[in-house]
Amino acid sequence: MENKKSKKKFRGIENPYSGYLFIAPQLLLFLVFIIYPVFEGFRMSFFRASYHGEQFIGLDNYKQLMADPVFLKSILNTVIFVIAIVFLTIIFGLFVATAVYDKSAKYISFIRGSFYLPVMVSMVVMSMIWNFLLNPANGLISYLLGNMGAENVNLLGSKTWVMPVIIFVTFVGNVGQSIILYIASMIGIPEDYFEAAQIDGATRWQRIHKILIPLVRPTTLYLTVINIIAVLKIFVVIQLLTGGGPNNASVTMMYYLYQNAFVYNNTGVAAAVGVIMFVIALLLSVPQFKAFGKER
Amino acid sequence: MKLFKRLARMEKMDLVITILVTILAICSLLPLFWLITNSLKPSTDIYKMPPDILPKTMYLDNYKELFNNQPALRWTFNSFFVSFVTTTLSVIFSALAAYAFAKLHFKGKNILFALFIGSLMIPKETFIVPLFKLVVAFDWVDTYQALIIPNLATCFGVFMLKSFFESIPNSIRESAKLDGASEWTIFWKLMLPIAKPGIGALFILNFVTFWNDYLWQLLMARSKEMNTLTVGVAGLMQEINPNMGLKVAGAAVAAMPMILIFIMFQKYFTKGIAAGAVKE
Repeated sequence: MENKKSKKKFRGIENPYSGYLFIAPQLLLFLVFIIYPVFEGFRMSFFRASYHGEQFIGLDNYKQLMADPVFLKSILNTVIFVIAIVFLTIIFGLFVATAVYDKSAKYISFIRGSFYLPVMVSMVVMSMIWNFLLNPANGLISYLLGNMGAENVNLLGSKTWVMPVIIFVTFVGNVGQSIILYIASMIGIPEDYFEAAQIDGATRWQRIHKILIPLVRPTTLYLTVINIIAVLKIFVVIQLLTGGGPNNASVTMMYYLYQNAFVYNNTGVAAAVGVIMFVIALLLSVPQFKAFGKER
Repeated sequence: MKLFKRLARMEKMDLVITILVTILAICSLLPLFWLITNSLKPSTDIYKMPPDILPKTMYLDNYKELFNNQPALRWTFNSFFVSFVTTTLSVIFSALAAYAFAKLHFKGKNILFALFIGSLMIPKETFIVPLFKLVVAFDWVDTYQALIIPNLATCFGVFMLKSFFESIPNSIRESAKLDGASEWTIFWKLMLPIAKPGIGALFILNFVTFWNDYLWQLLMARSKEMNTLTVGVAGLMQEINPNMGLKVAGAAVAAMPMILIFIMFQKYFTKGIAAGAVKE
């Protein structure tokens, strides 16, 4: 009560415009480089661009997309990707975090560091390394697999293996983040919970299963959403490892968008793909927003 | 001795899992280990199967060739310059906005903040076509401003720093105000120094993000001289050039600064990333 009163009194001596001045630079960038492109993207998706200028074609870009087997394949691949990455990241993140959260600080920072370093050096470098390792002619992995008696060691050239391999590469380059977040939120849990459980004679597994995992649910939700969005825009791995091949077996929505926009010069179609991805990302962020609203 | 005592006290299952996690952690470092050691081998040794675990000698010719016969020095400069300028500007703009959202009162504040936060959930890549067109219309392609300015429009910093400013008691601001300090003085002289830990964490996080950016830099840097390291070395890899050592060294050079930054600032990362996520 006291606090509220003083706040009100204080408001009187504050310049009401200074707030706008402080946000002005960020707001300007936001309007020019986010808001305008979003609206322009929607507009472009209803037009066909050519040398003569733009021509309004209504929903034709979208119709064309729905009739394109490559685009449908890219949706399917993206969905598989999302499900696999989210599942693996959450499970593995929980597995590592629950195993180490109560260990010594030094050990925790070793684990965190080992898994986070691949995230730090970026997907570009990680993709390059895996490209070297998976090279059918002289890559280390191909050599090892060959030694173990495998016949076709061209994993990236195989329609069956290309997706699992790319999912694995993405997973390794990305799981560190979930481990860091899980460990952080587990360390934040008050000791009392565990002490009470210990008095009741709970085993380690029960503590993990009944206390830890339920208590880090907000982190799980957050990780699910950011991972879906991160996977949605996956591009580097595909470009550097497969180029969408073999025979479009590894094409994703983002790669499809890139190809249409910057290789085939189909900007209207690419804009339509962008709009579809935008809407998906927006819908996914709704639960996150709700959680954010509750918190305040 | 202490270690053995601790190990003996653990439940059996816990022990097995801890060993497994330790092995996996070491495995996740193997690709980077492979990269660094192979960058120090001549190409013929990289192809050799089974491979030597460690290079026989410290072979530096891959790096020499990279910096002498490729514009790798320029790429490194570009990466540092672009990442540093983008990060600095972005931190300043974010801090200004975050301070206003945390401490000042103005109309439309909540709606604007919600919009800023909402934009965090939308990947920039989804509107990359119109964004590209816009920058082409500005005639910025192949310039530093193209690599820097559009990337400043990220609102992550605003979100992260807002909670730092909120944790600063209002009384500090109010007493400064009653002493006649202007809003700018309060921000610059009082608030920024207090929010230093948050600003430091944001600076490093942003630097890494901009350093590792790829798609936007790929689109904007047309000439080889304007490439950043990530784009430059990725380009090297796609060239039909049998010099494997050169490519490996390129990837190693792109990775090294990040490895160093991580070793130096590990603490900031864990804090910064956790601060950027939802608070329980």
